[in-house]
Order: sequence, then structure tokens, then C-alpha cells
Amino acid sequence: MKDSFFRSMTWLHTWVGLLTCWIIYVIFFAGTISFFRDEINLWNQPAIHNVQAQTDRVAAQRMQIVKGFDYLSHHGAGSNSWRITLPEQRIPYLVYGYAEPKEPGQRRSKFINTQLNPNTMQELAPFVDTKGGSFFYRLHYQLYYLDAITGRWVVCFASFFMLLAIISGVVIHKRIFKDMFSFRRNKGVRSWLDAHNLSSVLALPFHLMITYTGIITLIFMLFPYPALTTYDNGMRGFFNDVSPSNNVTNKAQGSAAMLPINNILDQVYTKWPGADIRSVRVSEPNMAASTVTVLVDPGKELRDQTPRLLFSGATGELVDQSADELTKSKALYESLNSMHTGRFATPLLRWLYVLGGIAGCVMIATGCIMWAKRIRERSKGKASFGLQLVEGLNLATIMGLPLASCAFFIANRLLSPTLAERGDKEVTAFFLAWLVAGVIALIKRDKLQWRVMAAINALACLSVPVVNALTTNGNIVSYLIHKQWALFTFDALFLLFSIMFLVQTEKLRTAKNNVKADSLKPSTHQKGE
Amino acid sequence: MELLTFSLCLFGFNGFALAKFNHFKDVFKKRPTELQRKQLLIVAWISILLSLVIFVVTQGSYGALLFCGFMSVSVLIITTFYNLLTGYVKLFSVLNAALITVSGLFLALK
Repeated sequence: MKDSFFRSMTWLHTWVGLLTCWIIYVIFFAGTISFFRDEINLWNQPAIHNVQAQTDRVAAQRMQIVKGFDYLSHHGAGSNSWRITLPEQRIPYLVYGYAEPKEPGQRRSKFINTQLNPNTMQELAPFVDTKGGSFFYRLHYQLYYLDAITGRWVVCFASFFMLLAIISGVVIHKRIFKDMFSFRRNKGVRSWLDAHNLSSVLALPFHLMITYTGIITLIFMLFPYPALTTYDNGMRGFFNDVSPSNNVTNKAQGSAAMLPINNILDQVYTKWPGADIRSVRVSEPNMAASTVTVLVDPGKELRDQTPRLLFSGATGELVDQSADELTKSKALYESLNSMHTGRFATPLLRWLYVLGGIAGCVMIATGCIMWAKRIRERSKGKASFGLQLVEGLNLATIMGLPLASCAFFIANRLLSPTLAERGDKEVTAFFLAWLVAGVIALIKRDKLQWRVMAAINALACLSVPVVNALTTNGNIVSYLIHKQWALFTFDALFLLFSIMFLVQTEKLRTAKNNVKADSLKPSTHQKGE
Repeated sequence: MELLTFSLCLFGFNGFALAKFNHFKDVFKKRPTELQRKQLLIVAWISILLSLVIFVVTQGSYGALLFCGFMSVSVLIITTFYNLLTGYVKLFSVLNAALITVSGLFLALK
């Protein structure tokens, strides 16, 4: 450890950042994409591309639920669980689903889902098997090809390192406000430092919030001891205590006819007039112990748990409900959790979250590139194994992830709809493309390889809307004409990325080979590294 | 409402940027006096705090989140103008002030 506080902080910032920057980059990259989880799900399912958003969505919900109960009474009569998922602003279709009986050893029941167009109440064409936005969502918080719990621990440790790096970065960057609006172009490492500082400062509240709340989302895995010592059955007891649950009818025996769902809906609308219902879940239908859970949209409220009412399916009695007023500790936990996920966000705030996420990616990428550039300047041509490793990981991660994401979306369009485990194949395409980037980085990591990767990425990004246009009935122009904004934005973004990668290719081609070694004046930030 | 609060936020950061010697010199070809710097900083603080207050009063905690996002966008826009489009900063500042006036008037009349 260095002999002064400032130098210690610089040392800490450099090493906690460097050790985890690539994994943090993956987490930020996947997390940023996950803010568009529903839009990715939409793009990945051509069967719902032409489903128009309902103009009277909330008003039609009662009819959709009543029809759903009729449908499930016929088709899911023997099932122990029904689910009606209503259209939302970002999810245009309606789903009626019932659980199949579990196979021996199976943990969760498989649902048989029927998707409908809510405007016509007609069944939609069969959905293709796709991981959709959920892949990026899970990659964000539990990585992939790892046991879920192990993955979450890795993400937690990386997040701790990130938090340390952010705090120590603020401490060491003495000129944080003086340099706030400064970006010096074409100044070698100085430009990289400016880009690093700028991307850090412009979204500093976001970086701090998203990292801290990210750790909070997994707090019960990190710190389960209060719950373990308070409840006899540990975490399960704790979660049962904080979630509305069926403690009334679960001991009732025998079968009993379901009460008409209108009776229950009347109670819901009496309590919450004009409620925007998200879903209705029925457990043990046609049994005396049946329950009907109605979940409603919390709107812009910063709470993670969806407000819900739990009724007896046989008598219509209100069994339990989510708290209208949260306790202070629960309100704090829920608000922190919901701030991280941003599920409540309107399109405007969602885009602001994405901007923060992109700034985070730029901050991490510029940080690790800057470290490698400085060490290379000092090493005067003799690259150590450590430097080569860092340069290789930089190239493979920063340029590999966009390529892998393009491969994921292209695979979604090119794989046969009838292919077994099709969703897993999309994921395989993602990791194979990333592997290709890794192999390129393994061979060499010079400017040429960065240029090659930029050119490949430009082509890959261009391929996404092109392949989409060739394999579905729509394309970027038709999306614009028919005001299918989510699909249009998706394709337009890939075109924009393609142009950006082309510009990068050109810049790398024309950039001088050697930047002035003295371009970076000695600064306090630099001295400790 | 979002337009007014965003323009106020942008105006605030514009003031902070102009209060810096180098940026002021880039735009007006002369160094600011100490009084000018203080005035710019006061206007910037009032503008940005007003933006925060309007957000929180009208939208509560959701507004605070929007404010954080708008701060990021504002810094990005201001940095772009002061580093890449310095010649347009005066015009941009006038448009920014006009936007505040128009959106404020629109809200008042509504």
C-alpha cells in the first residue's frame, strides 16, 4: 500500500478497476440492453409484429379475464394452476396459460400457453422458441454457463469492486468539477482520460445508484443472517411473511365450484377504481382451497412488488393483500430495488437509464484501454504477458460483445422455427461469435485487429435489419410507415451502430501510429499508476 | 413540464460551463471578470435547483430520477457544444433561454 491516502486511493482505483473491468463491462452491457427486454422479446417473435396496441386496453381487461376463465375452464380443467397475462403498453398480446402436471423430479410446472391478439381475440401464429430479452437479463445478474447462485456471487463481488472503483475514482479525480465539460481530442492518452472522466462524471449519480442498488437486489443472498436467525424456516419464512399469501383457505378440503370471476373483479375495481390489471393467477382451480390473485400495475410508484389482492376462488372472500402503506424498511428496500430494475419507467426515463448504461460502458472501456496504453508507452515496445493479456481481454470484450449480440439476433432469424431447443442455439451463436473475437484477440491485439473487429461489427450490425427484412414480412421502412416504433427503433439503432463502427474503422485507418508520448501532462491521477 | 425542467437544467449547466475561464474565453474571446463569474454561478445554481424542485414537487421520487437523467443529458450536450461546436454556443444559449420562456409561458397559460 502506498504511503499516502491519495496514492492509496489511486492504487485502489487502478487495481479494483482493472481486475474486474471486463466482467463489469459484461454486466453493464447486458444490463443496459435489458432495459429493452420487452422490446427485444417483441422483435424476436415475428408472430406478434403486427399486433396493434389496444386503444382501450384497460377498459377491455374485464372482458379478457372473463373469456380467459371460460377458456381455461375448458382447456385446463385438470390443471392445478391457471394464468391470464394481460397486454401491457410494451407487451401487445394476451396469454391464457395452464400448468401441466409435473414430471417426477421437475421443479417447476411447464405452462401450456395460448397467445391471442387482444384486438380480435384470435389465436396468434405459434411462437418460436427464443430466449429473447431474458437472455441479456439473466446474463446481467447471474452470467451464463455457471450455476445461478455462483454467477450471482461473482456479479456481487464484481459490483463491490465497481463501487470501490467509483468512490476511489471520485476521491482521486481532484479536478472533477474543473474538468467537467472538457474533452481534448487527438491528444493520445489524455483524450482517453478525458473520455473516461467525462463518461464517469456525466452519469455519476446513475453509476453510483445502479451499482449500489444492484448489490441491494441481491442483499438477501449476501446477508441472510437476520432472516435466518428470526425465522424458524429461514429465508422461506421471511419471504412468506413479506408477501401476501394464502393462510386461510389452504387447509380446505375437497372440490368446490369457482365463483364467477366478475364477483372478484367487482371487488378489485371497488378497491382500485380504474385499475390496470397485469395478470390473474389461479391456484388449485375448482377446489375448496383455490385462490385467485389479481396483480395490478403500480404505475410510477417506486415499488418492486406488484400490488395484489388474493381471494378465495370458491367464496370470493378477500384472503390477503399487499400493503397499501409500506413500512419504512420495506419502502426503502422496494424503492432501491425498483430504481435498479426501472420497471416503472416511462419511455423517456427508460432512455435516460440507457444513456446512463452506455456512459457506464464507455467509462469502463476507456478505463481499461487507457491503462493498457499507458503501460505500453512506458514499456517502450516490450509488452509483458500481463499487458498482452489486458490488451487481448480489452479487444475480446469491448469489440466482442457487440458482435456476439448481433450473432444472437441474426441466429433468431435464421434458425429454423422447428429446431429443437432453438432458444439455446441462439445463445450458442452468441458465445461462438464472442469466441471468434477472443481468437482474433489471441492472435494479435494491434490497431489492425481493432480495425478488423470494427469492420466485422459494422457488417454484423448492418446484417441485423437486413436479415430481418429478408426473413419476415416487415422492414425498417414498413415499421416507419405503420408506426411500429419499437421495431423501427430496434432496426434503426443497429443501422446507427453500423455507421458508428464504420466511422471507427475509418478513424483507425487514418489515425497516426504513434501519439506523442508527452501528450499527457503529469497529473495527480496519473502519478500513482 | 419536462421541457421546462430540462431546459432549466441545461441552462444551469450552461452557466456552470461559462463560469469557467477557458470556456468563457473560447466563446467571448476574453476572460470573464470575477463579478461575471459569480453572476453566472448564481444563475446556474438557481436554474438547476429550480429544475430539481419542479421535478420533485410535480413527480415526487420519480421526478428525482428524471432529474438525474436530465443532468446527464445536459452535461453531454454542453460538453459537445463547448468542445466541438464552440462557435454555436451563443446561439445555443439564446435558444435555451427562449425554450425556457416559451415552455414556461405555455405552462402558465395552460
